[in-house]
Amino acid sequence: MMNIARRKLVTVTAAAAIGLALATSGCSQRAGSEGGASPSDSSAEKGFAADSFIGVSLPQKTSQNWEDAQSLFPQKLDELGFKNQVQFANGGVSEQQNQINALITRDAKALIVGPIDSAQLASQLSQAASQGIPVISYDRMITDTKDVDYLVTFQPQEVGKLQGQSLLEGLEAKAGHPAPYNVELFAGSPDDNNAKIFYESAMEELQPKIDDGTLVVQSGQTSFQQVATQGWKPETAQKRMDAILTANYSGATLDGVLSPNDTIARGLITSIRNAGKEVPPMTGQDSDPESIKLIAEGVQYSTVNKPTVEQVDASVKMVEALSKGETPKTNGESDNGSKKLPTQFLSPTLVTQENLCEVYEEDPVRGPIACANS
Amino acid sequence: MGSLLSRNLRQFGMVIALAALLVFFQVRTGVALTPGNISNIIQGNAYVLILAVGMVLIIIAGHIDLSVGSVAAFVGVTVALLTQSGVPWALAVLIGLVVGIGVGAWQGFWVAAVGIPAFIVTLAGMLLFRGLNQVLGKSQTIPVPDGIIYLGTASVPEVGPNTGFNNITVLLGLLGVAALIFFEVRKRRNATRLGAPIGPVWASVLKVVLIGGVILLATYLFATAPIGRSFPIPGLILIVLVIVYAFVMARTPLGRHIYAVGGNRAAAQLTGVNVRRVNFFVLTNMGFLSAIAAIVFVGRSTSSGAYDGQGWELDAIAAVFIGGAAVSGGIGTVIASVIGGLVIAVLNNGLQLLGVQNDITQVIKGLVLLLAVALDVYNKKQGKPSIIGLVQRGMRRSAGTGETGVVDTTQPAQPAAEAPVDTSSSRQ
Repeated sequence: MMNIARRKLVTVTAAAAIGLALATSGCSQRAGSEGGASPSDSSAEKGFAADSFIGVSLPQKTSQNWEDAQSLFPQKLDELGFKNQVQFANGGVSEQQNQINALITRDAKALIVGPIDSAQLASQLSQAASQGIPVISYDRMITDTKDVDYLVTFQPQEVGKLQGQSLLEGLEAKAGHPAPYNVELFAGSPDDNNAKIFYESAMEELQPKIDDGTLVVQSGQTSFQQVATQGWKPETAQKRMDAILTANYSGATLDGVLSPNDTIARGLITSIRNAGKEVPPMTGQDSDPESIKLIAEGVQYSTVNKPTVEQVDASVKMVEALSKGETPKTNGESDNGSKKLPTQFLSPTLVTQENLCEVYEEDPVRGPIACANS
Repeated sequence: MGSLLSRNLRQFGMVIALAALLVFFQVRTGVALTPGNISNIIQGNAYVLILAVGMVLIIIAGHIDLSVGSVAAFVGVTVALLTQSGVPWALAVLIGLVVGIGVGAWQGFWVAAVGIPAFIVTLAGMLLFRGLNQVLGKSQTIPVPDGIIYLGTASVPEVGPNTGFNNITVLLGLLGVAALIFFEVRKRRNATRLGAPIGPVWASVLKVVLIGGVILLATYLFATAPIGRSFPIPGLILIVLVIVYAFVMARTPLGRHIYAVGGNRAAAQLTGVNVRRVNFFVLTNMGFLSAIAAIVFVGRSTSSGAYDGQGWELDAIAAVFIGGAAVSGGIGTVIASVIGGLVIAVLNNGLQLLGVQNDITQVIKGLVLLLAVALDVYNKKQGKPSIIGLVQRGMRRSAGTGETGVVDTTQPAQPAAEAPVDTSSSRQ
């Protein structure tokens, strides 16, 4: 009985193998014709109608700046008369891939893409390119593909540098004792191209101080792999901080923390408070309203302000220029591994308690929180 | 006459639901039924559908597998790293398949030999292989070479004379229609010979015209699509898998053993079914299919990433249950599961085309899953035949002659659609 079954199984498996082989055998023949022309440049010069459909595909809605983007993109694109659609891929990379496909199917004339993963959209973008749809990489750089045309981002090196510098300032101002200072380091998600740049630029400021003994990382965790936070998840960072505090700070004081953004900073603050310790100077990024409150209260030391409105504005201006057949204005170039990407760099600003009200005065959400005490 | 018509229509309940969704979205968006979009749906969901093929076997056998996403991520990163270190892509794919089978065998060992419930073994596997994926890949994105990208993104190649069509697509479509007619004719002839009741001729003609029409329409759309956008390779892989597994489940002792183990384990054991071997097989097989899904996905993504596979297990399980499988095992078919997966896929795609936000989409998908299963349960309780039961039975043979459990090797191999042992009757 089982023998027959086995024989049938073998036959069937063999059939499957042959089927697969047949399915894949076309490879070599197709490779040549696959490349196709890259018409993105030429078509960009032609422009498109001012009421065209513009697709915006953004990553998971994990922080306030993405919420802002959700309302700002339609607002700004509507002003110029573009039909538009903003989609968030809360379900992950495969969802974003499907969304981009759907936007292309809906005949989008330009795509603004904030990738979840810097390098996993290449086949969708090549489809866009083959139809002459220009692609603007928003906030995070899309890497390892030629089928992306422009990048709009806050200078990530600058963000990291500001974080590193503000941690050093904070330590001097708040530690209440001379060096050496005990610090712990946290970074963003390893699959987010910016996270690594933030961290490395911050470390350019911090590493010399670690080398000369001014800063001591008690946990010994300093490589990007060790300090990275998968998916920018605050609970992951919080758990790592819990473990570090238990293992290394039962006797020692923690004098400062490099945190890559505000949501992670708040997770870390919770961890430190749960351990019954004073919250030391802590950096951040993104201007989350919750964190602005904490800065006003003197709990979090700093954040880096990257106004979403500026970034959205810059992206929408690019779309406008493209629609008129002009080349969008850029002020730099980024190497994405496959090409030099014309880039509009925006400059971030450091925010501490001192300039808090000044920076956010105009902001309808953050202004009232920031200026409550002044 | 009327009742016959309604019965014949209900036999294809899930297929009709799928068609209705497609038509609805076509009317609302105007682009849902373009070859480009259909090709997007197939490419974007092939990995879930491939997983559903394996998952339905697991669920029929009375288990569940939570590790498929993590296993796929693990295989994906292994293949990507191998190619990065200079291994030819075809060899890397082969090694990836072997790794998948190995992982499946590892889990099968704990379930079959040690007797730990699959839920727990695969929950452990979910963590284990997610962790290994991140250790190996250092949580980063690793590109894969063109050969693998081809498997995930390309469509069937242009070969032969220039006919204005994609020749292979035309050939496949015609083969499909020919097989449909052949099996329908053979079924009627066999039934006549055996003196079994058969439906009226017009019902068979209607069936052939309807299904054949859909196949021809799809063939036409894909065959006339621009070069490079005809029938996608992942879809071809899926079709091969569906045919093979539907055949195994319907026509081989192994398939019947899987149904038997899930339907009534003790009885299966007493009748001489090697339950351990069945359990070991379904889990090992799931590892193999996870590996295929992984390769198709990293191909489509052009790289392997740290998030690959997250939530896939739930997508695959949802597809299987929408396809009418029973939580307690013993019921379900490969075809119906793939159709269940397609319902979700089309819904997802259509809502995206309409520009519905992701959060709302999730709400709708959750409700659809609940409603699909609730409707089936309700119908059973009312004493009406379950819609899904009807779909299965209808696909098996003409509904009236739903004789169960009889191994009839003279029946035509209509592999794509058969559930041989109707254990549902013993369970109601």
